[in-house]
Amino acid sequence: MAEDLVLDTAIRDWVLIPLSVVMVLIGVLRYFVSKLMHSSQTPDAKIVKEGQVIVRARSLRAGANFIPSKAFRARKIYFCNEENGLLFVPKGQGQNPQAQMFSDPNMAMDMMKKNLSMIIPQTLTFAWVNFFFSGFVAAKIPFPLTQRFRSMLQNGIDLSTVDVSYVSSRSWYFLNLFGLRGLFSLILGEENAVDDTQRMMQMGGFGFDPSKGLSAEKDNLDITQHDWALPNFEHRAEAVLRKVIS
Amino acid sequence: MVTKTEETQLNRLENQVDNGGGGAWDYLCLVRKLKVRRSQKVLKHGLSILNDPKQRSSLGADEWTLYEQVAVAAMDCQCLDVAKDCTKVLRKRFPDSKRVGRLEAMLFEAKGSWDLAEKAYASLLEDNPLDQVIHKRRVAMAKAQGNISVAIDWLNKYLETFMADHDAWRELAEIYVSLQMYKQAAFCYEELILSQPTVPLYHLAYADVLYTLGGLENLQTAKKYYASTIDLTGGKNTRALFGICLCASAITQLTKGKSKEEKEGSQLQSLAAKVLEKDYKQRAPDKLPQLTTALKSLTLSS
Repeated sequence: MAEDLVLDTAIRDWVLIPLSVVMVLIGVLRYFVSKLMHSSQTPDAKIVKEGQVIVRARSLRAGANFIPSKAFRARKIYFCNEENGLLFVPKGQGQNPQAQMFSDPNMAMDMMKKNLSMIIPQTLTFAWVNFFFSGFVAAKIPFPLTQRFRSMLQNGIDLSTVDVSYVSSRSWYFLNLFGLRGLFSLILGEENAVDDTQRMMQMGGFGFDPSKGLSAEKDNLDITQHDWALPNFEHRAEAVLRKVIS
Repeated sequence: MVTKTEETQLNRLENQVDNGGGGAWDYLCLVRKLKVRRSQKVLKHGLSILNDPKQRSSLGADEWTLYEQVAVAAMDCQCLDVAKDCTKVLRKRFPDSKRVGRLEAMLFEAKGSWDLAEKAYASLLEDNPLDQVIHKRRVAMAKAQGNISVAIDWLNKYLETFMADHDAWRELAEIYVSLQMYKQAAFCYEELILSQPTVPLYHLAYADVLYTLGGLENLQTAKKYYASTIDLTGGKNTRALFGICLCASAITQLTKGKSKEEKEGSQLQSLAAKVLEKDYKQRAPDKLPQLTTALKSLTLSS
């Protein structure tokens, strides 16, 4: 490509700026919609209890050497016995999260709401951008870039001859989608920023299974050896007292 | 737990506020953050902010937090009118808030109308059975009425679900000690040691309970925990030093006549006695004779 492309100022006025403004407005709107639909879900008693059991078992494992062996054994049995130990999960009772999700309408509802506030506006805006602005070269980056950036910056233009520093309108949309987080945290307050990338990550990690945590903790506790640390303390206390006297 | 630096900061701020140096809001925030109980000061300074419309409106949304804080402080000081007014203002602003419902229930409690308070808490718990504060209020209420056994029941029920809450374990331990149920108390202190192994106070309390229980094995264990207290405090805890001496003499009394003598223990005892003497010489010389006679009686009886 010999001579530079000259971009019409009308593209700036009617593509670049409207696109950015619309993205910001949609972000703000989505924040308020999700706030409106947000339901404070009360945690399930069983899940809370399981979390607490895990915390307590963990501290038992960490501090095992600080209590007499009799006390430790009693607790170990209380946690780990095969009949009604707190950490013991009967086989087959560990629900898989999928089934749990369908059995609990609240959970499905929450998922729906999350999707409503996230995926629908996204697809809509994407379709809108595709329909109105496809094929525009909307902006030019003031520095040269290597060929690798072509797929990032020139999405929607299949021309290998265009210099990579030109940004297509669809790519401008993506840049806005992922890059407006800083602006949102300014507008909506620090913790309210709508972060699409993080949300997408959350979607992947959905469905944590507490019973797995329980059985893992049980295994850990099973192999914990008790080695009472207190007899050593007598010697250490002697040393401390000697130091105090001298 | 409030650390030393936080405490000095708090005291400095309190001094400043008391002497009219401003910073009342910062002080109130710090009190809230550290969850310390300085109700009278909070009431005084909080009210002075609330009664000044200009200062109050400059807080923005924090105004309501302040109302809540002042209401609780007023209940603690038995200024029920103030508490009532604050609660009313909050109720007007948040007509169907559970948090305000809790305040109202606490107001009943402060007035001493236990039945009404109990009813209010029960209905709040129905809405949210996992509200820790309300569970704790119920325990406190039972304790205030003198129904210690009911308080124990509530606490046990609470701990069944929230078993990692060490403050509740501590409360239970202290209640058991007050009822002389030492075995149960020992269990609670074990739990506390597990959750925070480096807090010497729990080691000390556990040792006290074990010493009180008596028996050779318990005494030996108690001595070990006194020793760990000494180690953790750097030998500055007088109670632990006395504990070592008492345990050692009790152990020798029990093992007297038996062939297996424990030589290593006696050294710790004499060291502890020496440190005690040194401490008393420095800080309370007039009590020194009493100490020497007491220590002598301990060693004589062995």
